[in-house]
Amino acid sequence: MRPSADAVVIGGGVVGAAIAYNLLKSGMKSVVLCEKSTFASGSTGRCGAGVREQWGAEHNIRLAKASIDMFEHLAEELGYDQDIEFKQKGYLILAHTEKEWDQFKKNVELQHRLGVNSMLLTPEEAKDIVPALNTEGMLGATYNSRDGHANPFHTTRAFLQAARRLGGDICFFTEVTAIELEAGKVKRVRTSRGDISSPVLVNAAGPWAAVVAKMVGVDLPVYTQRHQILVTEPVGWFLDPMVMSFSIGIYCQQTPHGSVVMGIGDPDEPKGYDTGHSWQFLREMASIVCRLLPVLRDVRVVRQWSGLYTMTPDAHPILGKVPGVDGYYQAVGFSGHGFMLAPVVGRLLSEMILGKQPFIDISGLDLGRFERGEYMVEPSVV
Amino acid sequence: MDLRIEDHPILSFPERKKVKFFWEGREVWGYEGEPVASALHAAGIKVLHKSLKLDHPRGFFCAIGNCSSCLVVIDGVPNVRACTAKLRAGMRVEMQRGAGPAPSDRE
Repeated sequence: MRPSADAVVIGGGVVGAAIAYNLLKSGMKSVVLCEKSTFASGSTGRCGAGVREQWGAEHNIRLAKASIDMFEHLAEELGYDQDIEFKQKGYLILAHTEKEWDQFKKNVELQHRLGVNSMLLTPEEAKDIVPALNTEGMLGATYNSRDGHANPFHTTRAFLQAARRLGGDICFFTEVTAIELEAGKVKRVRTSRGDISSPVLVNAAGPWAAVVAKMVGVDLPVYTQRHQILVTEPVGWFLDPMVMSFSIGIYCQQTPHGSVVMGIGDPDEPKGYDTGHSWQFLREMASIVCRLLPVLRDVRVVRQWSGLYTMTPDAHPILGKVPGVDGYYQAVGFSGHGFMLAPVVGRLLSEMILGKQPFIDISGLDLGRFERGEYMVEPSVV
Repeated sequence: MDLRIEDHPILSFPERKKVKFFWEGREVWGYEGEPVASALHAAGIKVLHKSLKLDHPRGFFCAIGNCSSCLVVIDGVPNVRACTAKLRAGMRVEMQRGAGPAPSDRE
């Protein structure tokens, strides 16, 4: 590991990897990425891997749209020799209550205004897209064919390999233990494998973002929460889009390999760092998904796991600098949708750090918004 | 020769009912209640599954329901382990190609 660098990025998940790559691509000479475990070992590698433009708030729609533009050419841009398995088979979001159906109509209107070609579907039209769907009790659905999913391990690895080729120092099993400031400026990062002097520090530590922020005296209004997920044995192709419902709190997608990945949000899940898993989840998940997609009844589960959402008070990420700590930047609090935003956040953070005008205005996503009382509203989260 | 052991110094084999079933549409026979894989093996059928990525032949391997080598489609249900499924008369057993057919909505 180098003794000094132009920038140190903390976190080897997809967000940290994308930021490190973009800094190097934009001409920064020396970038060190510190990851306390191995790549994608935190939230990235445990996520549902969906990528969607169908959000209910302007910032999320703009960011996700730009991210999908980038996902479409990502493997090529990064010179990756394998497939990141980006598939655009759409997202089908189901409405089961009047309240969410009304919200979806508003969402689609906003999405159209921002150039997203989402559409409102009747239950019959939804069944044309997913013949296996049980439309009982469904009022309608929204669909956007540009949405999809990608493989989080390959995507992160693609960013890291490209960063390494550009001279980046990617250090696994290197835990940041302290950050030294001098006159309100980032000076040195202490790690389990030695110190690095650097004027720039990027916090992309995912669930551990608040721990890192504390090292520079910043309090983050975030909490972490376990989300459970499972995968089935591979079966023949039957499910094109990601099927999702906010009122039921479920998402379900079939990966290119044929296995089906699904999760549910549990509103009673305690906050904390527990990444264990429970039989209650298996039972609940199975009963919900078999009601929605009855063909899954005979399909076996092969594995279950869990990962952490890092939630902010308004379910939007916290991006950029913090007044009073020069050289400190953060890309944290993604509230369960960090994977899909990573390509665009990588670019935006590197633009901020290099003193350029970010290509999308994200000034409203700074930490200061909570103090100013400028909370975003995002109605569409699982 | 069907490789069935008739005489064994320790194990005994009670008389069982001979039944007909189908392999890829072709009629074959086995003993009721024996593992489907045994009946197929005895009938000289060794390739039960084609692998997910490279379409390589797969067959009887662990014999205890642990691996995924002998996956077959039985009466339309994919991912059935031939080594632990018990033979019934009239069963329609097919070679599973990759992940097999899409799951279907059966009552």
